[in-house]
Amino acid sequence: MNRIHPKIIEVLTGTFKVPAAEIVPEATMDSLEMDSLAVAELAVIFKETLGVPADSDTLLKDASLAEITAYLDEAAVGVGR
Amino acid sequence: MSGPTVAITGLGMITPAGQDTAATWDGVCAGVSYARTVPELSGCAVDFACTVDGIDLDAAIGGRTAFRMGRYVKLALLAAREAVADAGLDPTTWDGTRVAVVVGTSSGGTAGLTEQAVVLERRGHEATSPSAILLTIPNMPAAEIAIGMRATGPSMAPCTACSSGVTALHAARDLLATGQCDIAVAGATESVVYPVAMAGFARSGAAAQLGPGDDPSVLSRPFARDRSGLVVGEGAAIMVLERESDARARGAAPRALLAGAGATTDAYHPTSPHPSGAVAQRAVEAALRDAGWSPYDVDHVNAHGTSTQLNDATEAALISRVFPQRPSVTAPKGVLGHCMGAAGAIEAGLTVLTLQHGVVPPIANLDAPAVEFDIDCVTKQPLYTRADRAVTHSFGFGGHNAVLALERA
Repeated sequence: MNRIHPKIIEVLTGTFKVPAAEIVPEATMDSLEMDSLAVAELAVIFKETLGVPADSDTLLKDASLAEITAYLDEAAVGVGR
Repeated sequence: MSGPTVAITGLGMITPAGQDTAATWDGVCAGVSYARTVPELSGCAVDFACTVDGIDLDAAIGGRTAFRMGRYVKLALLAAREAVADAGLDPTTWDGTRVAVVVGTSSGGTAGLTEQAVVLERRGHEATSPSAILLTIPNMPAAEIAIGMRATGPSMAPCTACSSGVTALHAARDLLATGQCDIAVAGATESVVYPVAMAGFARSGAAAQLGPGDDPSVLSRPFARDRSGLVVGEGAAIMVLERESDARARGAAPRALLAGAGATTDAYHPTSPHPSGAVAQRAVEAALRDAGWSPYDVDHVNAHGTSTQLNDATEAALISRVFPQRPSVTAPKGVLGHCMGAAGAIEAGLTVLTLQHGVVPPIANLDAPAVEFDIDCVTKQPLYTRADRAVTHSFGFGGHNAVLALERA
């Protein structure tokens, strides 16, 4: 899957100032230089804007953006969005 | 001062008048207030201020860490970078173990704390930011500068309300004088233009209120007969301080010398200065003594001049008592508003520029000082005059009096 959830792109570029060129499906939080504080912040933003609970340690830490996208899509269906 | 002479070798400023030292100096010398209506304050009793505009702070900070910085931190970091570059120093190659960072603030990240309080109330604790504490605590300007510049010497964030900037420079001078560092990155920052703080300034009676038909830009008028309160500003100023001998040895040309510093505390009332001005006067006299100067040596006073009835009356009387020779007086808060914890550092920076360039900026919105004030205010136009020795006053809520004696290099 090559699609990246638009919210991921929006938040990584807007809040965390990650250059758009680095935001590729196989990128991880580590490869994007997102430290634990940034990842925790990202999880809160997912919860608050998408209504999707996203534990930063278990879900986001080692996942690729493609995997996070799949989770967000699936969870969003689950919460009725 | 009995210790080594300390030089100011670098200066960085970001203020309502401009995004760097040169733009700030030009704006202050033009003598026109930057106060304007602020859309984000719509509905507040005081909905105007002097703000830092026309810059994308996150883009200017660069990298990926701006999300964890409050506005007060970003302003300080940008001013610090300018100051260090101005000093001709390179943080990638300096010995960071010998670099101290002393950056004061009065309110720190109360703006961020307030935002998080609203989130907590409305959305619950899981919605609050994991960075909430970092967006709040007053030491983060010093800490982020240290992180960004690999400065591993002593660091701290002095808080003496509106005199925090002068207190920081005084503390940094002492770190240099006692050999605890070789380079000090020192100054102050403030950003409190948000509704809760603005309501507080209005409620306290310190803030000027907009009358019918008034424009916000006419309200800050230090030493005027009809002055009616302060206008809030924001900004940061950071200096690089070194022992003069070290600066000269590496071929750096000081902008000015920090010849002396003095501090006292009114121990009288949280908001009102002691009406006699006697304790504040002792701070001025302490700075003069520290510098080894007589009052008659002083050519110029950069006043605290807040445009409040009490401060300006007390301060004008103090200036005329201590300096009977009537040195030139300016008060940058007419142009910049009261940048609170940053004001003392910004005004020290402007005093450095007065000594360096031989120019005293005019006080905005002032035709002549109130008739009972026997002081020589510079009005309308910059005064072009060589000044060799100057003092800058800062008096903070709580009664914190802090004064620097600055000398032409």
